[in-house]
Amino acid sequence: MPPPTSRSADWLAQAAAVFAKEWRCELRTRYALNTLALFAVTTLVVVSAGLGPLGTSAAEGTPVLPVLLWLILLFAAAAGLPRGFVQEEETHTATALRLAATPSALFCGKLLYGASLMLALEALVAPLFLALVQLEVAAPGLFAATLLAGGYGLAAASTLIAAMIAQARGRSALFAVLAFPITLPLLLLVVELTRNAVAGEPAGGALTQLLLYDATVTVASMMLFPVVWNP
Amino acid sequence: MKSRFAPAFKLLLWAWMCLVLAGAFFYAPLAAGFLGESSRILFFHVPMAWTAFVAFLAAAVWSGLYLARREPRHDRAAAAAVELGFVFCLLATVTGAMWARTMWGAFWNWDPRQVSIVLVLIFYGAYLALRGAVEDREKRARLGAVYALLGLVVAPFFFWVVPRITFSLHPDSIVNTRGTIDMESRMLQVLLASWVGFNALFFWLHGLRCRLGALADRRLEA
Repeated sequence: MPPPTSRSADWLAQAAAVFAKEWRCELRTRYALNTLALFAVTTLVVVSAGLGPLGTSAAEGTPVLPVLLWLILLFAAAAGLPRGFVQEEETHTATALRLAATPSALFCGKLLYGASLMLALEALVAPLFLALVQLEVAAPGLFAATLLAGGYGLAAASTLIAAMIAQARGRSALFAVLAFPITLPLLLLVVELTRNAVAGEPAGGALTQLLLYDATVTVASMMLFPVVWNP
Repeated sequence: MKSRFAPAFKLLLWAWMCLVLAGAFFYAPLAAGFLGESSRILFFHVPMAWTAFVAFLAAAVWSGLYLARREPRHDRAAAAAVELGFVFCLLATVTGAMWARTMWGAFWNWDPRQVSIVLVLIFYGAYLALRGAVEDREKRARLGAVYALLGLVVAPFFFWVVPRITFSLHPDSIVNTRGTIDMESRMLQVLLASWVGFNALFFWLHGLRCRLGALADRRLEA
């Protein structure tokens, strides 16, 4: 039996390999990147054009615009993130993956990939959104922290649900149905935090609760994932 | 409930529910601060909501048991509990909306209680949609159990988030925020009797649903 250090090194190597493989596959087809970016930019243009050249007043914009930003991010995520596991089933690579990596390492690799994809999307969408709808953010630090923690949380909740729907029928519709109740507390929290960031108010307990949500969903997903993955 | 006590149990349940009905309308007094006779809905609305809660909790326990032991009967029990809990929850929503029309003037005004009950309905609706989308029985059981437990983990966050959206007009829970029970004793008797009755009704229906599920499974195997 190998000593524990080499086993944890082994685990890390597996997770890193899954992460690298996901990005290599992604860069070959650019399916998720194209879908996510185009979907987000299209909805962004619709929102901006719909508001008109004058945009909204600050009094109207502060409560409403954060909701629109997170709706764009949520539906872009729903369009791209489930791809990870669905593709493994479609190309019949799931069995090889089951042999190659332990479930927890595989889950962490996929989760890291999803989170990095979400953060890349946010890096593209958030500045564009602020510029197009002319929204001033009074507390940029809180805004960035909300995007980071919120994007990670969306990726964490999506990863387990993506693994589940890959084994069901009617996948894309089912993803939205299953992900909505699970991500709703996250969405309510990030919208509240984004409003606070725009208005320059303190975060209060909401940021702690958001981080707690991220941690809870990560731990619960890691515990439940082997049941979903192994037949 | 296949034993020879089953007919007696059914008769007893019937008599018990008749007593609860009579008690709710003729024995219990009206509560102060409610319009007309509207406070009598308490004896039906509250027990239904509690029974739905018991059903969902039982479904989570059976889901955990299924994942631990992988016995199909636990999965059938979990699915039946969610189905029945969903019905009780829907009834609690509808009776609540009827009461809200009388007291608050509108069937629906997004009171925090209404927000949370809709979220519960959406979550278990999604659970049932998931079960409908998986054909393989073993896979359906696994995925359903995972989703039920994931929902249980996320649910506590709503207790933090939902009350911040707006304040509630909903009357105090039975045990109020001060940790005491402010209820006339005859009302409390009828309420508790009704709760026992609704729970017994739930477990009886649940037993029937599980037997039906077992028969359907046996037929599929044959």
